[in-house]
Amino acid sequence: MSHAKYNVINTHVHNIDGVAKVTGRATYTFDVKLPGMLYGKILRSPHAHAKIKNIDTSAAMALPGVKIVVTGKDTLGVKQGIWRRYEELCDEQVLPLEKVRYIGEPVAAVAAITEEIAEAALDLIEVDYEVLPAVYEPLEAIKKEAPTIHEGVERNVNVTRHIEWGDVDEAFEEADYIREDWFKCSGQAHMCMETRAAVSSFTPDGKLTCWASTQSAYYTQGLLAGVLGLREGDVRVLAPYVGGGFGGKFELDAAMFTSAVMSMKLFKPVKVCFTREEDFIASKRRTPMFYYVRTGIKKDGTFCARESRMFSNGGAYTGMGATALYLSGFFHSFPYKWRGYRYDGYRVYTNTLPSTSMRGFGAPQAMFCSEQQIDWICADLGLDPFEVRRKNGHTEGYEVPGQAFIQSCGLEQCINEIEKWVKSKGKLPANRGIGISSCGFMSGGIFNWFDSPYSFSSAVVTINVDGTVELHVGCQDIGQGSNTTMAIIAAETLGVKVEDIRVHSGDTAHCPADLGAWGSRQTLMAGNAVKMACEDAKKQLLEFAYAEMGINIVYDLDIKDRWAHIVARPERGLPYVDLVKKALRAKDGQRIMGRGYYTPHRKGMISPAYSYMMQAVDAEIDPETGKIKIHEVMTAHDCGQPINQLGLIGQLEGAASMALGYAYLEDMPMEDGKLMNPNLVDYKVIKAPEMPEAGIIEIDTFEPEGPYGAKEAGEGLTNPTAAALGNAIYNAMGIQMKELPITPERVLKALREKKEQEAQK
Amino acid sequence: MEKQVLRFKVNGDEYEVFIHPKTLLVEVIRDHLGLTGTKRGCETVSCGACTVNINGASVKSCSVLAVQCEGLEVTTVEGLEKDGKLSPIQRSFLDHGSFQCGFCTPGMLMSATAFISEAKNPTKDQIKESIEGNICRCTGYNSIVRAIEAVTAGKYKEE
Amino acid sequence: MINDFHYLKPASLKEALAMYAEHDDCKVICGGQSLLIVMRQGMVAPEYLLDIKHVKELSYIKFDEKDGLRIGATTTHREIEKSDIIAKKYPVLVAMEEKLASIQTRNWGTIGGNLAHADPAGDPGPVLIALNAEIKFGNSGGEKLVPLDEFFVDYFETQMEQGDLVLEVHVPAPEPKFGCAYQKFNLLDSDMGIVAAAASVTLNADGTCKDIRIVLGNAGPIPLRVTKAEDLLKGKKLDDALFAEAGTIASEECMPVADIHASEEHRRHVLGVLTKRMLKKAFEQAQTAA
Repeated sequence: MSHAKYNVINTHVHNIDGVAKVTGRATYTFDVKLPGMLYGKILRSPHAHAKIKNIDTSAAMALPGVKIVVTGKDTLGVKQGIWRRYEELCDEQVLPLEKVRYIGEPVAAVAAITEEIAEAALDLIEVDYEVLPAVYEPLEAIKKEAPTIHEGVERNVNVTRHIEWGDVDEAFEEADYIREDWFKCSGQAHMCMETRAAVSSFTPDGKLTCWASTQSAYYTQGLLAGVLGLREGDVRVLAPYVGGGFGGKFELDAAMFTSAVMSMKLFKPVKVCFTREEDFIASKRRTPMFYYVRTGIKKDGTFCARESRMFSNGGAYTGMGATALYLSGFFHSFPYKWRGYRYDGYRVYTNTLPSTSMRGFGAPQAMFCSEQQIDWICADLGLDPFEVRRKNGHTEGYEVPGQAFIQSCGLEQCINEIEKWVKSKGKLPANRGIGISSCGFMSGGIFNWFDSPYSFSSAVVTINVDGTVELHVGCQDIGQGSNTTMAIIAAETLGVKVEDIRVHSGDTAHCPADLGAWGSRQTLMAGNAVKMACEDAKKQLLEFAYAEMGINIVYDLDIKDRWAHIVARPERGLPYVDLVKKALRAKDGQRIMGRGYYTPHRKGMISPAYSYMMQAVDAEIDPETGKIKIHEVMTAHDCGQPINQLGLIGQLEGAASMALGYAYLEDMPMEDGKLMNPNLVDYKVIKAPEMPEAGIIEIDTFEPEGPYGAKEAGEGLTNPTAAALGNAIYNAMGIQMKELPITPERVLKALREKKEQEAQK
Repeated sequence: MEKQVLRFKVNGDEYEVFIHPKTLLVEVIRDHLGLTGTKRGCETVSCGACTVNINGASVKSCSVLAVQCEGLEVTTVEGLEKDGKLSPIQRSFLDHGSFQCGFCTPGMLMSATAFISEAKNPTKDQIKESIEGNICRCTGYNSIVRAIEAVTAGKYKEE
Repeated sequence: MINDFHYLKPASLKEALAMYAEHDDCKVICGGQSLLIVMRQGMVAPEYLLDIKHVKELSYIKFDEKDGLRIGATTTHREIEKSDIIAKKYPVLVAMEEKLASIQTRNWGTIGGNLAHADPAGDPGPVLIALNAEIKFGNSGGEKLVPLDEFFVDYFETQMEQGDLVLEVHVPAPEPKFGCAYQKFNLLDSDMGIVAAAASVTLNADGTCKDIRIVLGNAGPIPLRVTKAEDLLKGKKLDDALFAEAGTIASEECMPVADIHASEEHRRHVLGVLTKRMLKKAFEQAQTAA
């Protein structure tokens, strides 16, 4: 089933939050100002690993304008974590009692009448630390003699994951050629334009209202309620506009919990916003990973076996690290059929900034290793990199043994399109190359480690007498445009226009629960809920219309473009607005309401559906300085049915900019656990002059699991780029880049080593 | 250490505020005048989210002492629309989807507005340079460049 | 957080110099694009702040065929970037300004402020030294004129003493058969250079090298002239081999400091490459110059 033509879906629709955003009307948590509001600041640990002997807050409390200082004594050692179902992984104390485990860990918080006074008060808090030996690298922390970071956790191994299918050893026996490589993948900062921010207001009726820059108002609500001992229903989380998330904003962060704790004590609103420096040093980052990859292949290019071991730098706490550990290992097999596959992942605690989910969720790292090694194997054996990928690629109906069932799969078409595009470029000048990488990604996970009793996504639609529609969803718009995507699905399903729909989101008091914007789940899961709710409402309208119109039983009715009509005879019908008026009167004045929900059941171990893509990066290297210039990025992409046209282009280009940053610009170097570049001068984010053209070729598939055949688009697109750039450099210069980011210095070093090796031959 | 009076125009209106001379322009705009369209995203004059126009030129308002604007005209994102009619660049942003989370957008619009007012048939590279001082983490910039290009090519007229 | 300071706003240059002389713990602000950052970090906390932003007398760009170019200290980077006469006579200055920070910074920040800040990674310093510039500064008691390469003394330190104000930059009229080129090495185009190199070449009528200047940026505490390489090339018929040799000397003579962006070895290596390339570019410009 091809990309059908729709009235609203996949047409040029303005983002429904656009006017608010381009006129400065959109109010973010960063902008919230309430009467009597106090300003909170956080005191952070200067040590990577230390016992807290004593905290003296008296001088700070005495500073005029300071209203409260809180420490672990006020939060009673309560622990929290996003993996709510697994107590041992809820390892982060909401303000530590006994010890600190990374530089930047919140230790105390102050609320004062001005930001300046709050900051001055921080200097007056005296913390007595007993510094402990610290360890910063996972391969060091896993040694027997390493200091123990969490009591009772042996060898600092936080979580392990094992994925296996087939007889791996036998599959290696079948291989004609085996190659093994080590890779080192860096961390990355989410670097949202809006730093972590929260405004909490606890009132004398025992209720908490919290504005939060969050990817999931529901998770924030649940986590806050949990640590504060409140009922979830007595906590209201508001997130009308969020300045970016990228995977870093759906856990309970210090802005949320310190503002809430202080507000509970003072019964006054308290605002806590991270500075950019705090955002760098104390909001969790993408997981740095050491990957060992061993691959066996037949000389005709058939993949036999892969065995990989991965050690990740978990930092001081679990965060979303357990999921990243699993997904990295799973997508490391993507998008190919392996006779035997084995992955062992070890997430190791260290005394550094905790790592967590970030767009791609472990897959960019996994692809950097897998896709480069595949190209090197092709070079070793004289095989064509396109042909090898086509030969082994996933196909429709394939089952990743014990893990996933692939329904729609446009991988082969993606490979064909990119192959055509690369060939059309012809011979490139010296020091310039095009590299490719293919991958796939999940459209939402089946996991419920949060232990939510609710459907993963829900929607409620209400039709007003004038035909306008209230759509209540729990999915969170963090910039990716989910409000617009849901409005598009609603408008298409109901047969109205996008401007008829008002989307309500980002308010737990008015919206149904939804797991939120992570794991690329919302288009598929919330989209399905919205479609179901609108079909429910439309059915009620049409039931009335059938009776009202008194037509022959063989005819069907539908609504399109605000016109309720007989499908076979579209000229016969009545205006949608008239139908609504009559239907409402027939219901004794009750508005038509529809409900929808979606939870994946029996959809394998990962996801109900997978996107696929192949990306090519055209890059040029200055052979004398090592400087990298990206000329162009081209992606052939299968996201099933595109829903939000402008949104999709934005996601592709945005993902490319972030993924390019990961590949060659962004780094988080640490010295003894201290981040060396916690600012935007030294942390290099791609800017407009460096951003290349990033074209997209959409491949036509239909995903049965998704609304109108849609799958994810936007997170998967961050996965291939680092690998594609590495392969471009390999094609241009013949050097293998095994470490991220790919810097000029590393390029020159590799060129020198290559020259020396050739001289020796 | 003494506060003093600052008289200047913001979005065409005369304002008088009583401030410490160390107050930054962005603080006056956001905290004293309540115009929160202009954002802040860093402490090192790097991100551009605070960009406003001073006498038509784009400036990062986090890096200007408000008192230096005595007698000058400041324009913020709130000043781009006229009686509910959006400016050409705002309309172009809507058409091209040149924003996602929207946090960088006010600053981006101000840089674009200043550039458009002085640029004659700019090249794509010149357009990219015009927003070099504004970081966007969401869009990858190309849709913003397309929006500016459309305006400089004359595709949008003042309403 | 910025400290509480007394704010001084002179109406004229004379008043500015008088006010400045009156207060010892006083800093000058104009564009503030460098100063405000360090004040916000608490690294600089003067009791008095003297604002010369609106002292019009110091804002000018004048060119004379014999005398050359004179730029007033409070001229903004953007004014230099957009100056038709500078584009015509000293295109390397415009090219340098186009890549200096961002438009917003250039709209408000000034050349005088930039030079007074004396950041060895700053762009104007090496280029102006390669152009043989002089700088005029003074206080309420008088003025001084020094070659720009003597003006910088150490990291963020110039010859100026308390009470001194940068007044003017003077670039001599370009000679016939003159070329000047500048390039910085960075990851992002408008970042300050990890390292940088400026080179200027003046040729004799017979095509041999009459004068040469090689100035390195962010290669030591001040913009560094590689006189050893200059001496090697002066008087000679220039070719690629000499440029390469000059590059090697530059990579040996420089004193770059490693940080997270690049090691010392990489900086030395790139400085050598940039020197070689800028010499060639300046030479080619000089050859085709009228």
